Amino acid sequence: MGTINSALSLIGGALDADQAALSVVANNVANANTPGYTAETPDWQQNAPINANGIQVGDGVTETGATSQRDRVLEERLDQQQQLASSSGSRLTALNSMQALFTPDSGSSSSTAGDIGSDITSFFDSFSSLETNPTDNALREQVLSSASTLAGDISGTANNLNAQGAALDQDASGIVSQVNSLTGALAQLNLQIQSISPHADAGTLEDQRQQDLSQLSQLIGINQVSTENNGLSITTTSGQLLVSQGQNFQLTTGTVSGSTDFFLGSTDITSQLATGGGQLGGDLTARDVDIPGALSSLDQLAYSISTSVNAQNNSGKDLDGATGTVASPLYIFNEPAAVAGSAANMNVIMTDPNQIAAAAAGSGTGDNSNAVAMANLAGQTFVSGQTPINYYSNFVSTLGATVSEVGTENTAQNASVSQLQTQNNALSSVNLNNEAAAMSTLESSYQAASQVFTLLNTIMASALNLGTETAVS
Amino acid sequence: MQELETRPANPELKELVVEASRALARLDATRLEELAVSCQALTRSRDCEDPGEWEFLARQAREAATDWAVFARVLKATRSNLNVMKRLRDLRVGQLEYTERQARGGAGVEGGNGNH
Repeated sequence: MGTINSALSLIGGALDADQAALSVVANNVANANTPGYTAETPDWQQNAPINANGIQVGDGVTETGATSQRDRVLEERLDQQQQLASSSGSRLTALNSMQALFTPDSGSSSSTAGDIGSDITSFFDSFSSLETNPTDNALREQVLSSASTLAGDISGTANNLNAQGAALDQDASGIVSQVNSLTGALAQLNLQIQSISPHADAGTLEDQRQQDLSQLSQLIGINQVSTENNGLSITTTSGQLLVSQGQNFQLTTGTVSGSTDFFLGSTDITSQLATGGGQLGGDLTARDVDIPGALSSLDQLAYSISTSVNAQNNSGKDLDGATGTVASPLYIFNEPAAVAGSAANMNVIMTDPNQIAAAAAGSGTGDNSNAVAMANLAGQTFVSGQTPINYYSNFVSTLGATVSEVGTENTAQNASVSQLQTQNNALSSVNLNNEAAAMSTLESSYQAASQVFTLLNTIMASALNLGTETAVS
Repeated sequence: MQELETRPANPELKELVVEASRALARLDATRLEELAVSCQALTRSRDCEDPGEWEFLARQAREAATDWAVFARVLKATRSNLNVMKRLRDLRVGQLEYTERQARGGAGVEGGNGNH
């Protein structure tokens, strides 16, 4: 009698276990399209065997829960690569916008902000034209017109670069609130996971935590450190603590020298965030390295052209016979006081074409020596040891090479992300074929257990009717 | 394979390299092998004595320079990713071994009885 009861209990346990396992499969299927859901597999635990008359008899299994099919190392690697791809992606977007400012409109005869190279050539060519007939008013007007085009394009481009910098600054500031919201959520999830499941996978809570980590990785560069009881500490890539167990540390912003800086507590971590990765890293690199670099080159070009052309014109004699003095210099461009800001402020201040000093001082007003000298400036290496056109060409080439390099990096990093994503999906996403197979197996097992249960029930009834003890071997 | 080697082929090196990067990102070994054969076809179909042919190959190599750089980086990233993938493979193999061990162990303990 006791043995039949044991068998009934064993089969009852099997039915329960199969049913619980079927629930896990059903849950997987229901969440097959849920973003971030990690497939679960049922955990089976063998029950302790019982001793019946000195013989060890198995007592079946119990379904003790479900384990998510995840690998923390893979997820972390994926997050790291995501940070790099996100950083190079946002930097590439900024660089492409920058490069567009220096790319002339194809087929356009009119000057655009991108035609600085042609502007430089046209400006010095206008002096070559003037030297053939230095008293011709139309040719003098042409010099001022080409100077104005050059100055307008350089200052326009500098202003566009400054505007891009401001837009990136605003984007970067906006990221901070998203980061703080995510670190807050992660701290809460840490607490929940630690209290609910300190020693085992926490299922959907861990899925949620992983999703938040993935989002955070797209925004900034982070390191993850597993702590006791399934906890997780998160730092920036340079080691500043963002989340520790159930506590998060808020990023704050402040204006320093006209741009937004980022703080953790009272520590300015802007430069660390720039090199750390994520969208913020890419934005800050573009804002603090790429744009200032381009502006600095443009400033140098504007400064050198303005000061050299002004000095040359000031040394000659204009059509009215005047020469430049300290009080009334014969300047074509506004004279910059320093290199910084020269491009944005470049402007033609000469309004009277007669003031173009085509003649050398001491010569007649019909002389062209100074016009020749100004035309010859085109071939002189007065911009950081290079001719103006070579300097500009080299700058544009360097920018193009940077864009290409970052583009290459980004393409490769995205490929790496997709490679890891494929692996992660193979491990963690719900495979409906596998679930169908598992369901079929579990159903069969359930049916078999039901039939055994029915059989045992019949035997039990027979035994009761007979009134004699019956044993099941 | 033989068919690919002997058939007249004139693949552009640039396209081959771009496709190789894609195949590597997918860890598609079959496609990578096909592309390697295409690369061989590209060089074999050229007359090595003809300077014009060498110039053709050199031009193709120059045009594909950026794509080579991408390929080299994907290769480097894959090398790093492989450590993680190896871990995954071990995990899967471990799961399979566990299942077999459990099956053997279960039969031993329960003697074929009660194993639902």
